[in-house]
Amino acid sequence: MSITADALLRDRVQEGRLVESVDEMSEEYKKELRHIVTVSGDTELLSAPAYYYAARKAPSVNAMISAMAIVQDELGHAHIAYRVLEDLGVSREWLMYERQPHEFRYPYAFDVPLDSWVELCVANALYDQAGFCLLSDVHDNTSYGPWKRGLVKVGKEENFHLLHGRRWMQRLVNSGESGRALVQEAVSWMFPMTVEWFGLPDDLKTHSSQLDYRMKGLTNDQLRQYWMDTVVPFCQELGLDVPVHRNADDTAWELEYDLPVQFDEREKRWDFDDHIAWDEVVKRWKARGPRNQAMIAEIQRSAGDFSWMFKDL
Amino acid sequence: MAADLQLVRGGEAGCARLWSALAEVMDPEVPVSLVDLGLIYDVRWEGDAVEVDLSFTATACPAMGFIQDDIRARLLAEPGVESVTTRVVWEPPWTPDRISDRGRKQLRGFGISL
Repeated sequence: MSITADALLRDRVQEGRLVESVDEMSEEYKKELRHIVTVSGDTELLSAPAYYYAARKAPSVNAMISAMAIVQDELGHAHIAYRVLEDLGVSREWLMYERQPHEFRYPYAFDVPLDSWVELCVANALYDQAGFCLLSDVHDNTSYGPWKRGLVKVGKEENFHLLHGRRWMQRLVNSGESGRALVQEAVSWMFPMTVEWFGLPDDLKTHSSQLDYRMKGLTNDQLRQYWMDTVVPFCQELGLDVPVHRNADDTAWELEYDLPVQFDEREKRWDFDDHIAWDEVVKRWKARGPRNQAMIAEIQRSAGDFSWMFKDL
Repeated sequence: MAADLQLVRGGEAGCARLWSALAEVMDPEVPVSLVDLGLIYDVRWEGDAVEVDLSFTATACPAMGFIQDDIRARLLAEPGVESVTTRVVWEPPWTPDRISDRGRKQLRGFGISL
C-alpha cells in the first residue's frame, strides 16, 4: 500500500469503520497492531506465573481454587491475543517458546514478586483493574474487529478478578489492625507501581500511532485518570492511604509526588523524594525486573515437556 | 386478613419475600441472579433464623465463598432476619436445566448459549 492508502485507512478508522482482515491493512497499521496486541497478550501471559507463585500461599483450599481459576483465565486471555496475532502472521509457537525473556512485552510490575496472599489480592484489585481499564478502552474504541469481539469474554472474567481482589481487601481490612496494616503495606508499593504502568504523560508523549489508527481510544493520562476513578474511592472507603487527591477544580486526580520516582526493587519501596527522568524508568523497564527470567523459564518449560504431543499433528 | 408483607416473618409469604430478595443477588461472574441460575434449592425461615440450601454449577466453583457472603448480606438486610445459615447441597446435582427462561435469555445476551 502507498502512503496515500495508509492515510485513507487512517481516515476510515477515525470515522469509526472497522478493519476485519489483513487485506484491508497498510504495513504500518499491521506493524502497530502486532505491537499493541503483543503487549496485551504478554501482559495476560505473564500475570499467570506472577499470580501462580502467590496463589500457592492461599489461606484455604477454597481460596486456592479461586486464585487458580484466575490464573487459568489469564492463560485463556493470552491465548485469545496470540490467536489474533496468528492472523497477523505471527507464530504462536514463536510467541510462547522461542523468544528470549527480555523480548516479552509486559509491564514491569509483574517482574516484581508478589510474596503473599495479601499482595495477590491487592494485585487483583489494582493491576487487574489497570488491565480492565486498558482493555475496556480497546473494546469500546478499537478499529480491529476480531480483537474487539475477542475481548467480550475477557472483560467478563476480569470483572471476577477485580471482585476477588476487592472482597479480600475488605475482609482483610475489617479483620483488625494487623490485617489492615498488611493491606496498606502492599498498597503503598503497588499503587505507585500501577500509576507508572500507564507510561509517559501526554505532554511528553505527543504522538501515538495507536491513536491515529484507533487501535485504542484514550491517551496515557486519560487511562491513568480512568484507573484512579475506579480504585481511589475504593481505597479511601477502606481507609487506606493513597498518595493522590482531587485537584482544586475537582476535575481530575492529582498525584502527591512528582512522577516518576525511584523504586528500590529489593525492598519494594518508592522514594518519593527522589524524582527521576522517564528515561531512567524506561531503562529499568527494559532491563526487566527480578522475576522475569524465572517466569519465562516456567512458561517455556512446557515446550520441552509436551512437544511430543504435537509431533503427529 | 391481608398481612403487611414487610412484617411477615417465616411462613409461605415470608419466604416469598426472601426469594425476591435472593433474586437480586447476582452471580459474581455473569450478571444473572442466583435464583434464575437455579442455584437456590430451598429457603426456610423460623423465628429470626433463615436457612438457605444452595448448590453450585461446579464442585470447584471459584466463587463459592463470595456467593454465600452475598446471600448472607442480602438476607440480613431484610427486616426480621437476624441470622442466615447457608447449606451447600449437591443432591440433586445442578444442571443447566435448572436455569429459568429469563436466565437463558440474559445469558444469550452475553454471548453464552445453552
